[in-house]
Amino acid sequence: MSSEEKFVFESLQDCESIRAFLEALTEGVGSKHLVLSSGGERIELYPQGLLQVEVKARRKGGSSKVSLKLEWKDAPRVETTDRTLSVSSN
Amino acid sequence: MITFEGLSENFRFLVLEVSGQLRATHEFMRAPTRELFDRITGRDDYIDNLKTIIENKCFSRIHTDNSLDRREIHRIRAIHTIAVNLERIADFCVNILGQMAHLSDPGRLRADEYDPIFAEIAASLNRIIPALEKEDLPAALAICRSEYELDRLYEAVFHRTLAEMSDGRSVHDRITTIFIFRYLERIGDSLLNVGEALIFSVLGEKIKIKQFEALQKTLSTSGFGDSLSDIDFRSIWGTRSGCRIGRVERVRNARSSTGDAEGGGAPGGLGSIYKQGNKKKILKERDNIARWSTLFPNLVPEIFGYHEDDDSAALLVEFLQGCTLDEIVLTGDVEILQNAMFVLLQTLHEIWEKTATPGPVATDFMRQMRSRMEAVLQVHPGLRREGVDLCGAGALSTEQLIDRCEAIEKTLPAPFTVFIHGDFNVNNLVYDHARQAVRFIDLYRSRDCDYVQDISVFLVSNYRLPVFEPALRERIRWVMREFMLFATGVAAARGDATFQARLALALARSLYTSTRFELNHHFAKDMYLRSHYLMERIVAHRGPWENFRLPVEVLDCGCNAIMREETPCALAS
Repeated sequence: MSSEEKFVFESLQDCESIRAFLEALTEGVGSKHLVLSSGGERIELYPQGLLQVEVKARRKGGSSKVSLKLEWKDAPRVETTDRTLSVSSN
Repeated sequence: MITFEGLSENFRFLVLEVSGQLRATHEFMRAPTRELFDRITGRDDYIDNLKTIIENKCFSRIHTDNSLDRREIHRIRAIHTIAVNLERIADFCVNILGQMAHLSDPGRLRADEYDPIFAEIAASLNRIIPALEKEDLPAALAICRSEYELDRLYEAVFHRTLAEMSDGRSVHDRITTIFIFRYLERIGDSLLNVGEALIFSVLGEKIKIKQFEALQKTLSTSGFGDSLSDIDFRSIWGTRSGCRIGRVERVRNARSSTGDAEGGGAPGGLGSIYKQGNKKKILKERDNIARWSTLFPNLVPEIFGYHEDDDSAALLVEFLQGCTLDEIVLTGDVEILQNAMFVLLQTLHEIWEKTATPGPVATDFMRQMRSRMEAVLQVHPGLRREGVDLCGAGALSTEQLIDRCEAIEKTLPAPFTVFIHGDFNVNNLVYDHARQAVRFIDLYRSRDCDYVQDISVFLVSNYRLPVFEPALRERIRWVMREFMLFATGVAAARGDATFQARLALALARSLYTSTRFELNHHFAKDMYLRSHYLMERIVAHRGPWENFRLPVEVLDCGCNAIMREETPCALAS
């Protein structure tokens, strides 16, 4: 059974400061390794293969929104133990 | 007296029954018999039932009868509270009987000690029906005060018995004696509740005897005279500072010891505001009002009376004519709002000019923020964050931000102080359009301090007005813009180079601490995020603080241009 790992970070930024976050994420995608942590929680993601990209933009009633979503299937992870070999996906 | 469905009869019976139980218990203490024991314990069930009947009738009447006016509802509520306490008194009588069984020598109980106690309780029970029927406040107060007397009598027995116990003899009986008298003392506690319920029935307000006495004393030192029946005491609000506030007016057509022809007025003509609470706060408020009056006559309400006891104090102050500024912002005509703002800024300018004292003086915005953090998290547990690492790009935790900002704040003392309001909330300003005057209320936090404290509280108190209708929001924005224009003008005129950095810290504090009063979670989160953004900008700043620019977009008032303008506004120059 796979347990859900989640990371949420909300903050208010200006265009300058948000660039730093976006650049860090871009680099993570480039290196196929994203590490996100907050307090004691940590999540590591390995984007690989084909990634589904969704870009949404909206402007309504004086407020605007743009969202970028990347989604992919993780490759089955191979785990070895002392004697057995097991294959699982999470 | 309410006469529906026999409630008043049931209530009378209950009072009579409990009085009977008390007499029988008194008799039992003098000469305990099995017969009397059975009679008292047998009547207890009847009293329980009577109380339940009264309780049911009170609730069903309040729930089903829409025609009841407030006065009748208050009376029904009072009857219910009194019934519950009477039943408890009857229970204490049975408890006394139970304790008597443990006495090896009932003669050990001294009649000269319990007779006055029973007499006091009986007198109070006799006052209940007339007090309720005639709305007799002095009788209600007399019932309340019997608790003091019963406490005093109990204490004498307690100390005497305790002293006798040191000889080591009859310890068992003596402990039992204390238990028995302790039940009599607890009857006093119930009588106090009965008396307070009667006060509630007359005044329509939950008021404790101590508060009532404070009010009475404050009124009598304020020219209201002694007759409380001439006073309409209403609208008691609990406030955030924990004080109780009410408006006091002379009842129309009542006789007036001050010769006030209109009858609606106290010494100030319009009634007064009565404030009762923590002694330190009330005393501070009184002293601050006195200081304000010396500096700026008519800026603050007049004090009519002050009274204090061991741990609380009460203040009677003038009720000011006019509207609070938030009412004007939200509902006043545009012209009136413009006038109010003009008068406010002129007033502030005058105050700041007159009270400015050269510094430097340390500020404590971050300390204020930290000290209120627990209160914020109690209302909104999610409004703090852990440090974040986002693929190498970081964000500090709430605590880290406060720590860093506090270290920076230490390097940014205010160049001068002024006498500040201290809680410069938009609803602590009263605007009198007829007299073209702004006046200050709620002044217990006034002190010599950085003017930035008042500026940030005023701005955020506008920002957090829970109004989202675009036209009204625009009015709020206008008020904030006008205020910012004025404040930056003053800062420029005084050469206050670190004004914007200090204001960023102060706004971060005000935005964050305001969330504890905001139950709309979305709005509270908005203020929390803005507060953190400001702290991040402060922490990220490099170079001299004179170059720091407050990101005024946090206030969403469209005054970005103002902060770039170097021209001081007309008033400040």
